[in-house]
Amino acid sequence: MVPMENYLVLSGILFSLGVYGVLARRNAVLVLMSVELMLNAVSLNFVAFAAYLDPSKATGIVFAVFVIAVAAAEVGLALAIVIRLFRNRSTANVDEAATMRW
Amino acid sequence: MAEHAWILAAVPGIAFIAMAAAGRKLPRQGDWLAVLCATAVFALFFAVLASFLGLGENAWPVLNSIEWTAIGDFHLNMGIAVDPITIVMLAVITTVALMVNVFSVGYMKGEPRYWWYFAVLQLFVASMLMLVLADNLLLLYVAWELVGLSSFLLIGHYWERRSAVEAAKKAFITTRVGDVGLLIGIILFWDATGTFNILEIIHYVEAGAIGDTRLFVTMMFILLGAMGKSAQLPFHVWLPDAMEGPTPVSALIHAATMVVAGVYLVARLLPVFELAGDALLVVTMVGLFTALFSGVVAFAQTDIKKVLAYSTVSQLGFMFVALGAGFVGAGMFHLFTHAFFKALLFLGAGAVIIGAHHHQEMGQLGGLWRKMPITAATFLIGSLALAGLFPLAGFWSKDEILHAVDYGRGSWAFLLISLAAIMTAFYTARLFIRTFLGKPQDAEVASHASEPGFIMTGPLVFLAFLSIVAGFFIFGGFGSAFGFPGGFSEFVFLHHPEVFHVDWGLVGLSTALFVIGTFGGAWFYWNGRLDRATVIAEWQPKVYEMVQRKFYFDDLYQFFIDRVVLGFSYLVSWFDRFAVNDTGVDGSATLTGYAGFLLKHLQTGRVPNYAMAIAAGVVALTLISLAVGS
Amino acid sequence: MDEAQGYVLLTALALPLLAALALLFLPGERKMAARYFSAVIGAILLGLSVYVFLAYQASGDILQMRLQWPWIEHVGFLGANGISLHLGVDGISALLTLLTGVVAFAGTLIAWKLEYRAKDFFILFWVLIAGVYGTFFSLDLFFFFFFYELAVVPLYLLIGIWGSTRKEYGAMKLTLMLVGGSVGIWIGIFAVVHEAGLGTFDLPTLWEAGRNGALSPEFQKIIFPFFAVGCGVLAGLWPLHTWSPDGHMSAPTSVSMVHAGVLMKLGAFGIIRLGIQILPEGAEFWMPALLVLGTIGALYGAIAALTQRDFKLISGYSSVSHMGYVLIGLATLHEVGVSGAALQMFSHGVMTALVFLLIGALYDQAHTRDLSDFGGIAKVMPLWVIAYVVAGLANVGLPGLSGFTAEFHIFVGAFKTYPVFGGLAILAAAIAAAYMLRMFGVVFFGPLNPRWRDLKDLSPIETVSAALLILSMLAMGLWWSPFTDRLANTVVNLPGVTS
Repeated sequence: MVPMENYLVLSGILFSLGVYGVLARRNAVLVLMSVELMLNAVSLNFVAFAAYLDPSKATGIVFAVFVIAVAAAEVGLALAIVIRLFRNRSTANVDEAATMRW
Repeated sequence: MAEHAWILAAVPGIAFIAMAAAGRKLPRQGDWLAVLCATAVFALFFAVLASFLGLGENAWPVLNSIEWTAIGDFHLNMGIAVDPITIVMLAVITTVALMVNVFSVGYMKGEPRYWWYFAVLQLFVASMLMLVLADNLLLLYVAWELVGLSSFLLIGHYWERRSAVEAAKKAFITTRVGDVGLLIGIILFWDATGTFNILEIIHYVEAGAIGDTRLFVTMMFILLGAMGKSAQLPFHVWLPDAMEGPTPVSALIHAATMVVAGVYLVARLLPVFELAGDALLVVTMVGLFTALFSGVVAFAQTDIKKVLAYSTVSQLGFMFVALGAGFVGAGMFHLFTHAFFKALLFLGAGAVIIGAHHHQEMGQLGGLWRKMPITAATFLIGSLALAGLFPLAGFWSKDEILHAVDYGRGSWAFLLISLAAIMTAFYTARLFIRTFLGKPQDAEVASHASEPGFIMTGPLVFLAFLSIVAGFFIFGGFGSAFGFPGGFSEFVFLHHPEVFHVDWGLVGLSTALFVIGTFGGAWFYWNGRLDRATVIAEWQPKVYEMVQRKFYFDDLYQFFIDRVVLGFSYLVSWFDRFAVNDTGVDGSATLTGYAGFLLKHLQTGRVPNYAMAIAAGVVALTLISLAVGS
Repeated sequence: MDEAQGYVLLTALALPLLAALALLFLPGERKMAARYFSAVIGAILLGLSVYVFLAYQASGDILQMRLQWPWIEHVGFLGANGISLHLGVDGISALLTLLTGVVAFAGTLIAWKLEYRAKDFFILFWVLIAGVYGTFFSLDLFFFFFFYELAVVPLYLLIGIWGSTRKEYGAMKLTLMLVGGSVGIWIGIFAVVHEAGLGTFDLPTLWEAGRNGALSPEFQKIIFPFFAVGCGVLAGLWPLHTWSPDGHMSAPTSVSMVHAGVLMKLGAFGIIRLGIQILPEGAEFWMPALLVLGTIGALYGAIAALTQRDFKLISGYSSVSHMGYVLIGLATLHEVGVSGAALQMFSHGVMTALVFLLIGALYDQAHTRDLSDFGGIAKVMPLWVIAYVVAGLANVGLPGLSGFTAEFHIFVGAFKTYPVFGGLAILAAAIAAAYMLRMFGVVFFGPLNPRWRDLKDLSPIETVSAALLILSMLAMGLWWSPFTDRLANTVVNLPGVTS
């Protein structure tokens, strides 16, 4: 059996990559992909703990499925927004979408 | 009947409601209803008197009360108490009220709001009767305020005239200041004794329920109320101005009845005053100052009603002096006689005003006796009674006061009150001579002057008769025959009857005072000459002006109100606007807005900034939880 | 019997809400229908209020006409009777119910004149009235607060839409200050429910908890200011009173009437219901402070009113002064003083409603409220002047009118406990005479300013409305015992009240 630590380290790396991507990239699509990366890291954690702590219960796995479903919905919505943004501004740079302020 | 004396007050009360509701639509605007009501009250008084005397001395005071309200341990009864003092007041009020109602039918003819005038007159009579019938201080206070209200309404009867409005306002507010004291005094009594009932309060105080200092303070507050209503120094300023009201009102309210309410109150509570340290001395001093002060001011007044007004203030001072000497009989007796002859003088002045077509400045009158003989004759009787000619009413009561002061206060007070008596005779002589004798000052006025009709001269004659005979009530035989058994002073007493006997030395002195004052007045003003008086006025113009301006009391008060009271009010308003509202309330709103203005810059609209903030927040929270956890 | 009477309360509470709902479905242009409908509702409510007052037995239980419907029980921290619609009246709320009926009916009649969006006005008006009734009837903290807020919120719209003179400012200030006060009350409510640990919002249960020591004295001392200040804002507690003059100045006539007449009383009522009854020890500790603030308010309002030039500002400051009396009366914690406070709430309510009615009647024609513009209008508006003089004299505390009855009780209570403050309170009454008479002199009397030759006297509807209010004043002024008897039992049994 693969030790628990391996999963956690992998998930940590994935999450950090995602955070870096969200904070550093300017392209909206890439930000979105980074968010997905973070979600997947969390899902991985859920599944790992579920199998490791009490295989008889499926709580963690159910949560992972929820996360996937929500992520799918979120991507659908977010991509639509990105497309509207690109149509209006001819760019997908998030720095230029800064009109939502005082 | 005596235990149902409240009916006396109820009759005019009902008349007031009826006349206020429908007076204008009644035939003759309901003046007959007013006269009818006054007659009924006058007749009912005799029923009460008969029943009261029939019950006999052991049944006095006649009481009748009901529970009014109760909260927990707090009980309040309302009712009436009839004792000799009440009877005297009832006699005065019902008699003068009847005369004034009749006189007003002539005097007010064709005046605006005729019906309203009579309606308020009934309200006044009802409240005044309630005031003297009340068995407890609270009901007395209620009536006290209601007579003040009627006085306010009647002084301001000609409200189109700015001066009348101002006078009404002044009267109400000045007496109101005194009333504050009265109410405080009443509540202090309740605080100490747990009751408002006058007899019980006297009883408790005699049993020593209130400590000395506290009792003195309480009595001073009560005295404030009495001074306000009875226009004693320094609250006297409202009474001369109150002459803006119709003249019959001045006769009823501002000479015979309402203004003596303060005297009545002091007389009623005299047993308590006697126990309250130097309270009676204060009463004497107030009375003395007032009597002398207004006597002097009356010298320089030229409006006949103003002279009479200051004379009233002065005579009220006499009554206070007598009470302050501890002689309730003397004070009440002067109240009794003064009511008749001063009402007569005011009504006479009213007749002059009507006869001379609303001229009331002495400078425009003079020589009126040819045109108005009845008025002049009755006015002369009233003047002589006021000045104290033997054996008219004023003589006997003034004599009693002199006696009381001599006996109760000593020679210094006796000297001063004698001086005031000389002044009385002096200004009375001046008033009569300048109005009725000599040559007409204004030919126009004199040629149009005429005697008013019987409806006005009738009351004058009746009151003149009373002004002659009222003094004899002091004698036992005469008093018993007409309802005051044993004579006035024996009838009205508190601890021990003040036995009356003629002191011929005092009579001589009293007559001398009258002669000095009257002949002094005659020497100055006889035959319409003014040069002797003018010489004095020009000799000391500053003094003359000071007297004419009433020792600057009114100016001082005006200054105080304009600069101090209103100034303070402006200050408070300013504070409310700028400090409380604009700084405190609007300031905190502005501060909130400014904070928002500063913080809005955090909202850049850039998603990465927000994401960075979230990440930083997570890191911070993690670090904190690690630090706290370990 | 009790239960059946409870339904009377429920009706009085539900009727205005249903009326508001029904008006929603009325086409906006049918103004007369909305007016008649509202007048009928107002008359019914007046009838119900009079019934509640008369049916309240002076010698019976303290709380009468009780009705309890459980709503949320045994959920989370809530135990038995967690939150229930618990209605009932004691002597004080019975009196205030009568006040609400009188003022609401009078206000409905006055709103008759309104042309702009009349239907919408009545909808909000009835919601407000329902809130007032609900506050007086509720014996459950949750609903107490719910109705309290329900009464305050419509004010914003009523003033903001139908007001005059700087209406946005007045409405905003008023709402923000009152809601700010509510925050304090809300904190206090949760603290009390939590500390008592009974899992219930039921007021009688909590009163018992306050009395038997379940709420420690320290806790009571900390929480009492939240209630006192929170409710005090609505009661015009100095120095949080400034919404009152500005609010009144901008409010439309009938809103001013209801607002000064009834809503300000909710604040004082809240101090009794929440402060004195739940937290007796806290009340005892803090009452001297309230007394000082009340006395300052009484004097300050009277003095500030002396030099105002606007009718409504005079009435606004005079309200501050009179609500100062209410606070003095409460702060005495003396049976007579507290009764006086309750009487004063009624007295000030009808009196001030009448004053605002009259000011409105004048302003509608003259379009100015500056005193110095007027003069001698007794000539053209005799009825109006008579009514105003009656109201003014009640304000001054003239015996025979309600003001004296109330002030007398307050003075007596104050003298028994704090004589110096009693003296100051009487002094404020003397100043009241000065500002009232000054206004009478300038506006009503003197020579008629020809500019106002064409002013019209009160209309029949206004006369009816004014007569109703004057009758109420006379009733309390002339015959005390129906009012004091109903208060006596309740007041004597308030915790901490001495004799």
